[in-house]
Amino acid sequence: MRQEVVFRMGIPVQNASGQAIGTLEKLVFLETEKKITEIVVRDFSSLKRVPLVWIRELTEHVLVLDHPGTLEDLPVFDISQFEEVPTWFYPPGYRIELGSLLTLKPCDERFLGESEAMSRRDFMAKSTGLVATLIGISLVVPIGGYVLAAAKTKLSDHWITLSIRLDQLPVDEPVSHTFNAVSVSGWMRVPVVRTVWLIRHSGTTDPLSVSEDQILGLDSPLEKSRSSPLLTVLSPICPHLGCSPQWFSGKKLFICPCHHSIYEMNGKRIGGPAPRPMDQLPVQIEKDGAISILYEEFQVGIPQKIRLS
Amino acid sequence: MNMKKTSSDSRFIQYLDERIRLRSLLGFLLEEPMPGGARWAYVFGSMVLFTLVLQFVTGVMLAFYYGGTPDHAWDSVNYIDHLRYGNLDVGRLIRGFHYWGASIMVVLVGVHLLQVFLWGAYKRPREIMWLVGVILLALTMTAAFTGYLLPWDERAYWGTIVGTNMIGLVPVVGPLLKSAIRGGTGLGALTLSHFFAIHTMMLPSLFILFVVFHLVIFRRVGPAGPFRGTSATLEARKEYFYPRQVLMDALAMLTVFVLIAGLSVVFPPGLEATANPANSSYSPTPAWYFDWIFELLKMIRPEILGVIGLPAIIALVLVMLPFVDKNIERSPFRRPVSVLSTLLVLGSILGLSIAAEAGFKKLVPLDLASVKRGKIVFEHSGCMGCHMVMGKGGHIGPDLSEEGLIGHSEHWLEVQFINSSSHFPGSPMPPFTFLSPEQRRDLAQYVSSLGRTGWPDTTR
Ligand code: FES
Repeated sequence: MRQEVVFRMGIPVQNASGQAIGTLEKLVFLETEKKITEIVVRDFSSLKRVPLVWIRELTEHVLVLDHPGTLEDLPVFDISQFEEVPTWFYPPGYRIELGSLLTLKPCDERFLGESEAMSRRDFMAKSTGLVATLIGISLVVPIGGYVLAAAKTKLSDHWITLSIRLDQLPVDEPVSHTFNAVSVSGWMRVPVVRTVWLIRHSGTTDPLSVSEDQILGLDSPLEKSRSSPLLTVLSPICPHLGCSPQWFSGKKLFICPCHHSIYEMNGKRIGGPAPRPMDQLPVQIEKDGAISILYEEFQVGIPQKIRLS
Repeated sequence: MNMKKTSSDSRFIQYLDERIRLRSLLGFLLEEPMPGGARWAYVFGSMVLFTLVLQFVTGVMLAFYYGGTPDHAWDSVNYIDHLRYGNLDVGRLIRGFHYWGASIMVVLVGVHLLQVFLWGAYKRPREIMWLVGVILLALTMTAAFTGYLLPWDERAYWGTIVGTNMIGLVPVVGPLLKSAIRGGTGLGALTLSHFFAIHTMMLPSLFILFVVFHLVIFRRVGPAGPFRGTSATLEARKEYFYPRQVLMDALAMLTVFVLIAGLSVVFPPGLEATANPANSSYSPTPAWYFDWIFELLKMIRPEILGVIGLPAIIALVLVMLPFVDKNIERSPFRRPVSVLSTLLVLGSILGLSIAAEAGFKKLVPLDLASVKRGKIVFEHSGCMGCHMVMGKGGHIGPDLSEEGLIGHSEHWLEVQFINSSSHFPGSPMPPFTFLSPEQRRDLAQYVSSLGRTGWPDTTR
């Protein structure tokens, strides 16, 4: 390995004939070539720039130049044109005291002076900020819309015609009817099996033909407009915490096995912790007795009937 | 050389400076001395970095909705294509950014490499920086190749069949490599998940690693500067990276962004019919930046020489270049041999690409209004009595679901409607002479669109 070159500041500088002509003050670094090119020597009148190649001998105690006379003819070192080199630029193979390695300032600072260079830089920094903001906004807007697009997608109402007709149902006896449906999540369509309670009534005068939801006015406009005095469709989901109430024909009651909420045939809650009646679903009956329903789900655990979209 | 402390620094800056040494950190990042001052010639690296970041951002966005299995990939891309927010086609826009971002990134990587080469900026002491750049080039091409498969449409599937077959041609390890990449002998679910993992997990991590490496080296050895001028004059005109070069870079990035956004709006990426391994009539085409390799595959026998040989030689030259070329002369005007041979290689790549593009079957350009009218003609003229389109229609004639990908001309189709036996002697197809010339043109447009566009909107 090459011997490390050690520069110590303040050591005496001698000329070729051994006379002391000054002291070592600074080193000048040429950034373009990543090299030290000059040394700065303090002679008796001022600071002088001396080419590095003039050095004949360098020890830790003395620096000897090839040059015979004084440094009078050499250019004067103007410190205002230079600035310190950060340590990560220090050339390998040298030991240099911190703060002694200097390099030329960038040209705008040298030509315009520090304060004017600063204000010019400030202007350019603001322009850069403007450009960055421009790009940022035109990127963030579509991305925001993109992320929210799926969340904002409205569920389309999907009416399903059941495989059973009205005249096939027993009167005043809830029937648990199972049908195939499709659950949609984004681009995915998963076939699912769902169940609803179908309760056929004998006629419009039958007191049971009005569901408790209708009596209490919990229905949405859609549910209100799509109901039939001949058939009540109840959701199989318990409005308490989502279990499945079962029909007990002997008692003529729905009873939920989880926390014993008890409902009458039209969904009216007569006992247990449920906060509202069993949920009525929209239904449409064609002339030939075909039944179409709209399967909805609602938030559980609250007295209001709020549809989950 | 540290950022000057000015009284205008806010309390926040002072707070951060005390805790993370913000000023000297910024100084490290921004006060890069540029010999000879800022120049427009230096913006290409930043442009590449910008497209890479754009690919990261839009890629993450696409992954929000993408399903990486063969039975969902196409559906999910079609879903993205239909995503709207208000009046904005956000899904198609984001996918367009990613699609065009990839192409523009490949172009910019090429320009950046060429600029560094012409400036002689790879020479000592920047050999390692060049090498890392070559690795980044390889990552870019791998990203382009793996991303091509993900939409899982006909183009993606058949393009990847050909691409992976080429890898299989590599001597000795080729067949093993091919089936390792495919996850089996054929192209299937494992291929898609392999490609997805490489494209979205492996490559981004490697990109970050090597980009940081590239930049750290750059910061330490500094820019090479102009190839003309003595070091004293370059030193006299030196500037910091910040702010003039930063501003130039920012403007260049804005230009790239406007270009990518414009392309995405005007030419949104297409989606062909979902990958159909049984479709033997499909003629695969690669992404344009692989055209030249594709053309070599046709020209050079044995294939292995063109497909593996030339890319291998190019890779070898790129890797070895700074270690072999020790001549300190940087000006391109005084390095005629290397500059001319590079231009020759570039010229032949360009020539091969043009030849390849010319050789591809041209699909009929679509006029969407006419396609719409043609669909009505199709549905009302009895075509569906015999032909099946996307699962609806009769069985007597051939299924037309992917007819638009076959590449018949409009003229061929119009003749087919009125005189089928001129193409297929003995064809049972009746002559549809009652169609007006406009109706025939619309119908030809519609048939040409089949398998290429008009997918159902699954977002609502
Ligand atoms: S879930 Fe039905 S009573 Fe609690």
